[in-house]
Amino acid sequence: MEKKDMEKIVKTFYDKLEEGKIMGRKCTCCNNVEFPPVFICNKCGSFDTEWIELSGKASFKSVMVANGQTAKYPEFLPYALGAVTLEEGSEVNALIGGITKENAEEYRQKLPASCHAKIVQRDGFKTVMFEVD
Amino acid sequence: MNTVVNQTKLNPYSRSVSIIGVGCTPFMNTLEDPATEGLTEGELFGYAAMEAMKDAGVTPKDVDYYFHGQANPMGCDYITPNIMVANWVGMKGKGSIHHSEACCTGYLALEQAVNAVASGKYNVVLSGCVEFGDAIAIPYKPSCFRRRIPMEEFLETTRWIYDKAYTLGMMAGPVINFDDSAEYYARTYGLSVKEMDEVICHMALNNRYNAVHHPLSISKVDFPEIAKAAGYDNVMDFMLSDKENPKMGEYLRVLGTEIKCDGAAAVIVCPTEMVSQFTDKKPIEVLGIGSACLESSNHNLEIHATREAVRQVYELTRVKPEELDLMYVNDFMIPSQLVSAEIAGYLPEGEGWKYIKEGRTRFDGDKPLNTNGGRTSFGHAHAASGLADLYEAVHQMRGDCGEHQVKKLPKTVMLRGFGGSQNVTAAIIRTKEA
Repeated sequence: MEKKDMEKIVKTFYDKLEEGKIMGRKCTCCNNVEFPPVFICNKCGSFDTEWIELSGKASFKSVMVANGQTAKYPEFLPYALGAVTLEEGSEVNALIGGITKENAEEYRQKLPASCHAKIVQRDGFKTVMFEVD
Repeated sequence: MNTVVNQTKLNPYSRSVSIIGVGCTPFMNTLEDPATEGLTEGELFGYAAMEAMKDAGVTPKDVDYYFHGQANPMGCDYITPNIMVANWVGMKGKGSIHHSEACCTGYLALEQAVNAVASGKYNVVLSGCVEFGDAIAIPYKPSCFRRRIPMEEFLETTRWIYDKAYTLGMMAGPVINFDDSAEYYARTYGLSVKEMDEVICHMALNNRYNAVHHPLSISKVDFPEIAKAAGYDNVMDFMLSDKENPKMGEYLRVLGTEIKCDGAAAVIVCPTEMVSQFTDKKPIEVLGIGSACLESSNHNLEIHATREAVRQVYELTRVKPEELDLMYVNDFMIPSQLVSAEIAGYLPEGEGWKYIKEGRTRFDGDKPLNTNGGRTSFGHAHAASGLADLYEAVHQMRGDCGEHQVKKLPKTVMLRGFGGSQNVTAAIIRTKEA
């Protein structure tokens, strides 16, 4: 194994966020998309994956309104926590902006509801949250 | 009263277990090279694991369980790091456990994996270790953001491996290790301080010679070249210079201690009877692993614990010292090489220092030791080093080490683990003929 063969997946992900791109890794064997990106496919076990830019389109299937400990990121309120499924197929726990205690029930009635990815700034780095459509 | 060492009798494994795959990253300071700056613990563990799986002919689907080893939690800022690597090795949802035995972690990583298979619980087990000994995590930042940990700050964290009830307070334990084994050897075999100093420097020279021939080593320049650049025609004048190679104690010098760094290594084991399902390579059977622990209030703890671990594994396996073709010793304090090789009977008692001075323990000598360059020159990614030694041993036993292949193809190898003030292991592995 040589240093040049050790691709930096995590750093590339954060570098691409700075460029406004959200990246995942697509398995060249089974087409499963790993998000956040890793270099082995967890679905089929293949070692062959490649970069893919994600569309940002997604849906969420659960809603937990931020409150108490779960409201620990005040700069991003109002938000809820939930399971987000990307258009490309990956599911991930995420913050979903725009959901309040008052409108949460409305979204619960139409799950899965659509949302989209949003790149936001944290202390020294950008990350990904989602926002209701 | 001399140190009490309680003894353990090992029982045979319930079924034979063999090594079928190994992987190892370069040992490096990731922050020093743009090509590696920002690599994470998941990536290093994953690259080592991926190489081991390819080597073994298995996929993540074939692996039933994995072990994760890491010495210093500052490296990644986790106390359950096994969880964080699952996605990276394609094993989301599989069972795993993290273990941490400081510099002995990588040797016990083999033991954990072998026991898990020998018990019958699992068939194919991955065991990997990763350490960021140089580029540590920054709390609350993604893991590609890292900072260097200076040696002084790192040495402060070694307080975690010393007894707080008495040993830290009584002060000797945490520092006597620098000289304990060297003083024992010199006193026992009649070497002066100056003669022992020279032997220690020769060990460092031999390690560096081995390391510069190894593609994964952190050390790329041999000591004679460094000495010449510093104005020394005779490399031993350089090695014995207090200015160029300061003393850490009465005996040990800086170049006889570890180069801390970042790296990862991994191994795949399975029941010997199943090897042919995965690979055509000859299985390397783990015949047995002896273990002994002594904390740092015990005088000459390395000597006592190594004797006990070696006694256990010889008693179990009935292997004779003269059957060892090659030996690896965790030598972050380099006198470990000499005392352990003599305790194992790999070098003749009281005579090993002559072999070292004559260069016979280099990879191209007749009694090779630490053919990768050991901790002082291959580098010391603390948890990962034991498995890096195993990686090297396996490739030497397969005969595919190219430029640094030992002269006689080794069939039986001992690995002596040491670390954590101090866990000691002695493993014997042997190529299994069809």
